[in-house]
Amino acid sequence: MAGSIEEVKKAKKLYLFIGTLLFVFTVITVLVATVEWLDFGDHGFDGIDATIGLAIATFKASLVMLIFMHLNHEKGLIYFFYGLAIFMAAACMILIGWTKADPIRDGNWERADGFYNLEKPATKPEH
Amino acid sequence: MEIPFVVNARKDTGLFNSKVGIWLFLASEVTLFGGLFSGYLFLRLFADFPWPERTLPVLPGLINTFVLIGSSVTVVFAWAALKMREWRKFQIHMSITLACAALFMVLKGIEYNAKFHHQAVRLSGGSPVEDFAVIEGHVHKVKLEGDHLVHADKNDQEAFYANQLIFKAESVTFALKRPAHEAYLQMILDQAPEGVEITLADDYKVGGEVILEKGEPLSVEMMDQLEAAYLDAISKDTKIRTAFEKASWKWIRDEKGVTEQGTYVVEMDLWKERRKEDVKNYSPLMLRAPAEAEFAISAPFNLRLDPDDVPPGLRGDSQMTLRDDTVIKGQLLESPIVMAVDAIDFRHTAMRAEKEGIDPMKAIESSWVLTHQPKGHGVEHSENTLKKAWECHQAWLSFETERLEKKGRKPTDQDKYRINWDQMIAYQQLDFDPQKVRSASDDGTLYETHLFDLSGFAGANHDKHHFPEVEIPREKVGFESTFTPKWNTYYAIYFTITGLHGLHVIGGAIVLGYYLFFGRKMYESNPEWLANRVEVGGLFWHFVDLVWIFLFPILYLM
Repeated sequence: MAGSIEEVKKAKKLYLFIGTLLFVFTVITVLVATVEWLDFGDHGFDGIDATIGLAIATFKASLVMLIFMHLNHEKGLIYFFYGLAIFMAAACMILIGWTKADPIRDGNWERADGFYNLEKPATKPEH
Repeated sequence: MEIPFVVNARKDTGLFNSKVGIWLFLASEVTLFGGLFSGYLFLRLFADFPWPERTLPVLPGLINTFVLIGSSVTVVFAWAALKMREWRKFQIHMSITLACAALFMVLKGIEYNAKFHHQAVRLSGGSPVEDFAVIEGHVHKVKLEGDHLVHADKNDQEAFYANQLIFKAESVTFALKRPAHEAYLQMILDQAPEGVEITLADDYKVGGEVILEKGEPLSVEMMDQLEAAYLDAISKDTKIRTAFEKASWKWIRDEKGVTEQGTYVVEMDLWKERRKEDVKNYSPLMLRAPAEAEFAISAPFNLRLDPDDVPPGLRGDSQMTLRDDTVIKGQLLESPIVMAVDAIDFRHTAMRAEKEGIDPMKAIESSWVLTHQPKGHGVEHSENTLKKAWECHQAWLSFETERLEKKGRKPTDQDKYRINWDQMIAYQQLDFDPQKVRSASDDGTLYETHLFDLSGFAGANHDKHHFPEVEIPREKVGFESTFTPKWNTYYAIYFTITGLHGLHVIGGAIVLGYYLFFGRKMYESNPEWLANRVEVGGLFWHFVDLVWIFLFPILYLM
């Protein structure tokens, strides 16, 4: 941010507020994972809990990026850098999802050589 | 030459140089951690064992989250103080930030330490499905009395952790083809009791010449000498062989010639004949140094071997092969793992039973954990405490199932098949009596979540609580490890990501500490420049916080 003295003074209050918000949401994350009446979906950990946990984490991360890292004051160039990086990171995750959906990979748990077969360990190739 | 845009931002981008730099660096960091997170996702989605769900004590992670968020606030305050030219305030805020970094690392250290001392044993064998029960706890200290292990005090000089292989060593043979691992050699020498001599069993001869005589005592220097003599001899042998082969090729070229394509022409039988002759001629010249050196032990003694040093496939009742191919002959003594059990996990057994179409509870009931007749340091215990703990767990589970059914829910696999350490403490406090457990469950007094129980800050507290003991015979041990990357892929990725994150905390703290302790001069000459530097250092610090914001729920709560 440009950071004139007035702006900085004003921003300090915002930083405190955001800091408090982050504390509060951390507590909420823990409560959602540990308190039974906040346990959504099935009993215990499941996909819904994972989604809620990650959504809160993403929200907290956005606050840190926008306010503490001054992204709300930056121009396009940094968004380009960051956007590219996040795209790359997301691509890593998507690739794994893709593998999971791959019929060649996933339909062959009982492959003859036992590579994916838990019961029969893979045999060594003979030389 | 003056470098532009170190203090003031460029008009079009609104950035000064170092900010462009740090953002590019942070972008690369996002991809680095993104790769690791996707690694985590991969390991978890494709795990072939029950993933350790919500397995870490939450409190250290929670405090660390608060610490990092707090330090993110103070670092941005430190920057604001510089902007307003308040050096004193900058110092205070930056010092708090560094203190937070130190606290974070201390907590991480406590957590890691707890993992390094927490043992897990996965059983093997059994029917109808392989017994993959996991026993977790702390290994006891024992010492040897004759050929038997006895319970030892923690501070006893002779005490060692009861997960070692005890082997009565009668002779030891070192492989010379590769250098003997000096630590192993030293271990054998150190453990040999006074008066026991380990000496060369036979003359070590190279080409008729005696290099070391029979009866020479084992030492690091003599092993170096033997290895050098062996290497020297095989190098000479190779040279002789090569010389003969060269001569034969030359003979073919001279006698038989080369085709236009540059290929030697020779009849197979002729060549075979020639080579046979070669072997006959060079054989007497070869030194043929023995590839191993055997040492006799004057009186067999009990050697303690770390299981990590002897791969399971190379263990035998009368022979142990260490990782450096050193072979120790003798006799394997009873080498059980003696431990205080703070958790039992049957999820893996249940998973395998379900896959086979067998009732998981039936498979669990035939597990060694519940069927064995307990022994302990040679003393017969009359009851199997682990079995009683399991009965208590069933009492609690029946209550829990009824309670959840009223809400239209079901207990999880973790509820059903795992006795966690807080449950173990609760059952123990009720004398492992299933009836008491059931009534305590009905009253709602059984146990709390222990989220804020400081005695179990980083796991079960074995100093405060007494846990049931078990002696696991070596042949029942399928796999054993402390909670390190070796134990399973969850701990591998946990240590990789948190370790890398910890290094980032240390790196960031060093940079911020530099501004705090060496920034005064710059503050006096060009405070805006220092403010920019602190902003850039702060950006990195926020990123470290940001990674933790994801790590905490993923590793501790999911």
